[in-house]
Amino acid sequence: MLEFINVNPNSGDPIYKQLHEQIVRLIVGGQIAAGEELPSVRKIADHFAVNPMTVSRAIGQLVDQGWLERRRGQATRVAQNTTQQTDQQESLLFKAIDQLIQQAKQLDVPQATLAELIKKRWEL
Amino acid sequence: MTRPLLSYKNVSKQYNQRQILNNINLNVEPGMVIGLLGKNGAGKTTLLRSALGLITPDQGEIQVLGELSHQLSASSKQKIGYVAQQTFGYEGFKIADALALHRSFYPNWDMQLEAKWLARFELNSKDAINDLSIGQRQTLALIMAMAYRPQLLILDEPVASLDPIARREFMSDLFDLALDSGSGILFSSHITSDIERVASHIALIKQGELLLLDELDVIRDTVRKVSFKESTIDLSAYTILNRQQNCAIIYGYTGETVVGALAINTLSLEQLFVELHG
Repeated sequence: MLEFINVNPNSGDPIYKQLHEQIVRLIVGGQIAAGEELPSVRKIADHFAVNPMTVSRAIGQLVDQGWLERRRGQATRVAQNTTQQTDQQESLLFKAIDQLIQQAKQLDVPQATLAELIKKRWEL
Repeated sequence: MTRPLLSYKNVSKQYNQRQILNNINLNVEPGMVIGLLGKNGAGKTTLLRSALGLITPDQGEIQVLGELSHQLSASSKQKIGYVAQQTFGYEGFKIADALALHRSFYPNWDMQLEAKWLARFELNSKDAINDLSIGQRQTLALIMAMAYRPQLLILDEPVASLDPIARREFMSDLFDLALDSGSGILFSSHITSDIERVASHIALIKQGELLLLDELDVIRDTVRKVSFKESTIDLSAYTILNRQQNCAIIYGYTGETVVGALAINTLSLEQLFVELHG
């Protein structure tokens, strides 16, 4: 699964967020299946040459949010039933939407026009 | 609470009436990898050298492994690793002889680690130091500073001459040291993408002052560039790291709306560095 993930230390996002977001996308997109084992924190850290604490933070959040399961003495796995998945799926779009809204505000494009534009582009 | 491996308390230093360090407070605790970021001449090297007792502060106190930095015992010195920005002794030696001499000062030297690193970085122990490239010398200096698993490792621009592969290998070794052996690491670098990968904490110094000190992720999460038209914008809820006519760098942002802000943008470490020196 690591080959699907790309870490960019020069990006605007902290590395733990990049890992978190991409792993969620892989789960939602089905590239990694329920029950599948994740490599160890250390292996992930070595692969991307990043601080293992950063990886730990991302994995910890994914466990807290129910995406991953961690049992004592076992590898971390993708959770069997990822509850509230639709909510989470939609929340993946928030960042892009927020950027869009910000740009619309800068250009003085009103909300209704923006909604109209999205509709038009959607139907292209 | 664990005792810090290195602590600066209100440390100041002047040279020729120029303030090089201004009231620095900083703790390095086990497991921390602190990236020290600052322009040339900001005081990074002075800060690092003063921890080794090579420079005595005018004011304040530096404690290293529980002792004062300018009165370090021999046994404490054996637990500290240091790689200087440049220079390297052992001219006229072969790698093997230089390592043998260096090793004799450190009872905890790990021969396996030394062998592993020599092989990994493709250094031939029969080669003369004089014939090594700058990058190879730097690698050897790192081996010499790390093969006894120091409790405190101080690195001044350690990787500037290493190629990207060697830098990655070296970073992985740093984590071994910090996380498995519980050592603390304080290193300066200009390569912000490396700091971004490696550091748990960032210390940003500007003109001798510690401008920012926090976990890297906290800095990345809460530092923002705010753009505005009206200079009356209320930013009093935040620490202001830098303010220009139409924008400011704030610290402590948690996702709320800021009245009067045209844009609130995240910054990479490199962007932050550049913005703070604008």
